[in-house]
Amino acid sequence: MTDCGCDKARRDLEEYLRNEVCKTRHSDIAEHLEHCVECRDEALVARTLTEVVARACKETAPEELRDQVIARLLEAQATH
Amino acid sequence: MIATLDRTLVGVPEMREAADVDWRVMNDQAQAEPDARAQFEEQALPFMDQLYAAAMRMTRNPADAADLVQETFVKAFASWKTFTQGTNLKAWLYRILTNAYINTYRKKQREPYQGTIDELEDWQLGGAESTTATSSRSAEAEAIDRMPASVVKDALQSIPEDFRLAVYLADVEGFAYQEIADIMKTPIGTVMSRLHRGRRMLRDLLSDYASERGIDTAPSKDRGRKTAASRSTK
Repeated sequence: MTDCGCDKARRDLEEYLRNEVCKTRHSDIAEHLEHCVECRDEALVARTLTEVVARACKETAPEELRDQVIARLLEAQATH
Repeated sequence: MIATLDRTLVGVPEMREAADVDWRVMNDQAQAEPDARAQFEEQALPFMDQLYAAAMRMTRNPADAADLVQETFVKAFASWKTFTQGTNLKAWLYRILTNAYINTYRKKQREPYQGTIDELEDWQLGGAESTTATSSRSAEAEAIDRMPASVVKDALQSIPEDFRLAVYLADVEGFAYQEIADIMKTPIGTVMSRLHRGRRMLRDLLSDYASERGIDTAPSKDRGRKTAASRSTK
């Protein structure tokens, strides 16, 4: 395991955090984050952004939508 | 109901024989379709809240979102036979939702499709690298974390559509890059670029919002770039 340095860590940070394939080995980014406060904070901002967006976008469909959908499905079935 | 009827028929042999035949014919006719619908409802309808949330981000209003979700389920049911059991149903439904939105819904909207956004240069959108000082980054994370949901949704709404979708599919739904590429019918590289740029814009908008309200998240030398970034999204 080797520390990949700030440039590579920053470039591939998003992919690292999402467990996607990237040019830098995940273990090298992990090692870098252990040693570099700046990049660790950058990762914190990235993760926070994801959490905040996910939290803000939660919605519950209106009650009547479910009934409308079921009615449309019955209708679709009848016209088959 | 069948069981009840059967029981009442016991002891009336001549009637029972006739009834058996009738039931079998009725069952054969009625079973195939209701089963498909029951199966569809059982598997697909639990995704309604998620699809509605995505539709809200696409259409920006509850009535249109509800229409889009209805259309999505009707279309999905019509092609239910083509869905392979055991594969990713959520991604399949999102593909139909996104298709329905792009092909039928978006055409009705007055606002022109912002399809050329991918061609904008990075400098027009703000740099990919933040110049924010180290000491303020944890403050930035904290400010973003405390952001009201309405502000986050407004910010998301103000970034270009393709970027918004990529961010939504990745951050809210947790789809992998390949799944987003399939849903949006774009190469993975485009997904990555839209996601990175979309998130950069979102972050700048939220940081701007925070600093306008006196929550300092970035040194002043950073302001000029951020203003340019938000201007180009309008």
